[in-house]
Amino acid sequence: MTIEIGTKIPPYEVASVSAEKMKTMAALLADPNPIHWDTRITGALGIGNRPVNQGPLNMGYIMTMLNKWAGGRDRIKNFRVRFLGNVLAGDHLRATGIVTAVRQEENRRIAECNVILQVVGGDEVLSGIATVEVGP
Amino acid sequence: MSNTITEAEVQAQIGRQFPGGHYTIEPWRSWLVADCLGDDPYADVPHPVLAWMAAVGGMGVSFDEIFQWLGGSADDGPMFGEHQTTMHRALEVGATYRVSGQIVSAERKHGRRAGTFDIIGYEISLHNEVGGEQVATCWNSLVLPRRSA
Repeated sequence: MTIEIGTKIPPYEVASVSAEKMKTMAALLADPNPIHWDTRITGALGIGNRPVNQGPLNMGYIMTMLNKWAGGRDRIKNFRVRFLGNVLAGDHLRATGIVTAVRQEENRRIAECNVILQVVGGDEVLSGIATVEVGP
Repeated sequence: MSNTITEAEVQAQIGRQFPGGHYTIEPWRSWLVADCLGDDPYADVPHPVLAWMAAVGGMGVSFDEIFQWLGGSADDGPMFGEHQTTMHRALEVGATYRVSGQIVSAERKHGRRAGTFDIIGYEISLHNEVGGEQVATCWNSLVLPRRSA
């Protein structure tokens, strides 16, 4: 795999964000916030009848993209994102990234990347940077 | 809404330690997190988002309690601002991590549309329970609206 400045990371897509996985994640996080599973609450808050995805899931989609591209879950060395908006159940998401720098660090090759998570046809919901080990 | 806390009172919270605790990446937890993210649940290495989940799961204090330290509550509409995870070594399925953390910054800002708000930074570290090596550092910022400040 040739990796250089400007290389585009293969996108990772979530065709439809699952409300059921939000419930699993709420239990795993011990997150008591009902906006992640109770649509009566989201309706009352004016968000609509779709639950709101957890921030760690949104971050995790970008990490999954990087894991698959770099060849392992131990390849991300640094990951920094800004939260820009909500993701709702049923949203179609696309994580994308582009290499902005490449360097050799002892016996490993490191890529600096800009990364984004976007609702397809809508807004960016996360943007940031990642440092990823991409090879020897 | 309890928005009368002063900037000095918020800044006095810098350095306040979280009680801390421990977090174990149980195999079932690793499997379910990967499945939720559309990643391979059978991979040997836990998904890196578990660093953040371990940090929050083991910090020993709830977000509601942190909001109280800062003179606010969930009713004020706090939001996550930014997040950073730095991995010093790979996570391991079955490993137990010692979790420690503290508030590291507090800054009051005023926006024309957003009004007055505080940006609170906190940092949480994971160390191997066995051996003591640092495994990950997670930093996060919270945005706390101060509508009547």
